[in-house]
Amino acid sequence: MNPHLPHATHIAVRDGHILGVGTAENIDGWQKAWGPLALNRDFADKTLLPGFIEGHSHMMEGMFWDYHYVGYYDREGPDGTVWPGLKSIDEVVDKLKEIQANRKDKDMPLIAWGFDPIFFTDRRMNAADLDSVATDCSVIVLHASLHILNANNFVMEAADVKGADNSEFIRRDESGQATGEFLGQLGYYMAMRTTGINLLAIASSPETLVNFANVARQTGVTTATDLVNPMPAGSENAMRQAVDADDFPMRLVVAFQGNSMEPAEGVARMQELQTSNSDKLRFSLVKMVADGSIQGFSARLKWPHYFNGAPNGLWYIEPERLGDYLKAFTEAGIQVHVHTNGDECTEVTLDKIEEALRAHPWPDHRHTLQHCQMATRAHFKRMKALGVGVNLFSNHLYYWGDAHINITMGPERAARLDDAGGALAEGVPLAIHSDAPVTALAPLFTAWCAVNRLSSSGITLGNGTQNISVEEALYAITMGAAYSLKMESEIGSLEAGKRADIAILADDPIEVGAEKLKDIIVIGTMVGGQVHINQGRSA
Amino acid sequence: MTHIDIVPLTIISGFLGSGKTSLLNHLLTQSAGRRITAMVNDFGALNIDAELIAAKHGNQITLANGCVCCSIGDDLMRSFMEVMQQSPLPDHIIIEASGVAEPSRIAGFASVDRQLRLDGIVTLVDAGAHNVHSNDPYLADNYAKQIEAAHLLLISKPDLADAATLENLQNELAAQKPNVPIAQMTHGMLPIDLVLGLNAAEEIRQPHDVIEHGFMQWATHLPPQPRATLIAKLENLRPHVLRAKAVLQDDEGAYVLHLAGGRISTEPHEGVASGHFVLIGKPQMPDATALEKIFRQNEAA
Ligand SMILES: [Zn+2]
Repeated sequence: MNPHLPHATHIAVRDGHILGVGTAENIDGWQKAWGPLALNRDFADKTLLPGFIEGHSHMMEGMFWDYHYVGYYDREGPDGTVWPGLKSIDEVVDKLKEIQANRKDKDMPLIAWGFDPIFFTDRRMNAADLDSVATDCSVIVLHASLHILNANNFVMEAADVKGADNSEFIRRDESGQATGEFLGQLGYYMAMRTTGINLLAIASSPETLVNFANVARQTGVTTATDLVNPMPAGSENAMRQAVDADDFPMRLVVAFQGNSMEPAEGVARMQELQTSNSDKLRFSLVKMVADGSIQGFSARLKWPHYFNGAPNGLWYIEPERLGDYLKAFTEAGIQVHVHTNGDECTEVTLDKIEEALRAHPWPDHRHTLQHCQMATRAHFKRMKALGVGVNLFSNHLYYWGDAHINITMGPERAARLDDAGGALAEGVPLAIHSDAPVTALAPLFTAWCAVNRLSSSGITLGNGTQNISVEEALYAITMGAAYSLKMESEIGSLEAGKRADIAILADDPIEVGAEKLKDIIVIGTMVGGQVHINQGRSA
Repeated sequence: MTHIDIVPLTIISGFLGSGKTSLLNHLLTQSAGRRITAMVNDFGALNIDAELIAAKHGNQITLANGCVCCSIGDDLMRSFMEVMQQSPLPDHIIIEASGVAEPSRIAGFASVDRQLRLDGIVTLVDAGAHNVHSNDPYLADNYAKQIEAAHLLLISKPDLADAATLENLQNELAAQKPNVPIAQMTHGMLPIDLVLGLNAAEEIRQPHDVIEHGFMQWATHLPPQPRATLIAKLENLRPHVLRAKAVLQDDEGAYVLHLAGGRISTEPHEGVASGHFVLIGKPQMPDATALEKIFRQNEAA
């Protein structure tokens, strides 16, 4: 992935960096200056790629492993334990019954996660399902999307769920009865208030961070982002301690939550955080959130809005204030990544970036739009002109593609969802992401989504012009993401002088091809010269 | 089940620059013994006098009068968790919503928390900017939702609009929300008892009241009197009275009386009745001398 040397047979590593790449002969010469290099043939029959970079994930991915996984696919925990996938609602309920029967403290809240209703089209999970697990303690099942959770009647009674006109977050059946499904933040708030478990505190703990790194590592990731963190005063110390530990198997880029304080204070806090940067931990950018999500009907869309007639979504910040923040950070030379989902939000955000750049010109600001799922070619042209990059939420194509065709966007607009092909055609720097834990963290899967554009029911979104090639997708999950983080001179490709961050794969993605890209087995990674082999895989 | 505290929640909604902070500032200075927790976007804008600040820890400021301000920092759920885990719980929570927030969504927190009760959504409408906001290409729908959700509409900066504009605005709002009282507010100066105690959770609808510039407020201490007598007196004054609250004694014991949302209610009061009585009304309400006369009599007027 280094343009002057796309393929090589040998790589030499010293002091955490790449000393040389090429043939055995090319490498030999280094021994004059650097002393003998021992030849390691452990990975001779494997494919080495630059370590993958997840440009939009959240460390919260690591928090759930203390609870019970009930997702559809087998999943490997940070300790290498494989949690088998559960293939029906009944299987999920049976698994929970088994857990309840076998655990000691039967009165304690029972929390499960990773449940994905997308795979169960016959019916939805309800309160009665979870009442069959237990009626005298809280039973809560968090969905994989993190937008929804299911609760049993014990929880609903403890919360004293009341009010009739709150369909935005309590799903009700035709008779007005709450079904046990709760949407959005309020579901989580209810879960925390009734169980007394503060998921927010757990989400930012060092243990969670370590779990996150171990889960990411297994998918070939050598650098990941925690793409929005309020970083309360002093929190960088614990973070630094965790990430700088020798056995922490990853680099971490943390995006400071821009509007957790006023613009001027935010600039000062960001400058303070940057003094804590190390080889493995970076505070280099600010994240702003401008609207909600498409599947939650909270993204801001241009006319004619939602396909099913739902009212337009929500601004998460006043456009005027977004402009104030962009101006302050641009003036201070701090890169900003803005979450925009709907096309109206993308357009307004570009207006605000343009205003900031007219006030404080900055040739290589590299402000980046995150998700940016409904951008049109016109938006990409503007982004190119303004020097704005994009990191598209390609996993959405698979997870919510069907919903976007049928409910949120309609077939015509769903065709341009996460238009990676369009972005590249217009010359916009491109990365693609999972937004883990919202969808599964696995860059090869994300690449597969962008290459094939298949929904979970097997429908292709678009007419082919939105697809990208395997090579382009691999670039997006390495150099593309590195560029979006302004780290392209350090990581993202294998070349002399860069950090020795490598993904070790069982097969060559180019040979395997588009269709099976997501199925390639990841053997392990190298981070700064240190090898991490996945459980059950051998060198 | 033992007694659990239930905290009333007031949401102050309105666009940037509509005067939410001024109103909140003013409310905090009139707390009169109520331990109010205010959840705000930005301390800086609150402009709290340094001598009123008793303590400052991280994202919380404690005021000398027992009120607390905490900054939301764009994470309402986290703020609610912090506030609702405090002991003792505050007497009242006021949220200064962001300019683009949908107040009905914030109110949702109260419907999944046994210890929260929605007291009211107060929406501020900037007299001078109403036309701009209701035609904003990106925000008009949001603006309409804020007005739609209101249990009390406050027209701010009436002094900056001409009489005709003001009248049009009042008529427009009255047509849109016929059951919601509309008041004018200058520099956030409003009696706290007009804003808090709306009891929205009880789905009270009240007859439409347009309140002209200015209020009458009368506060005093009254001798014990039967609740039926007090209610009868208030009924007579009803067309001019917006809010009333009394903590009085009669033969059955101590009681609290509320007149809110056009409805009068009483409930038993734990502890000693203070005799405290507050009346807020329109300018047409009888003056203090006349009120003295009415409420100190022992028979209904
Ligand atoms: Zn995200």
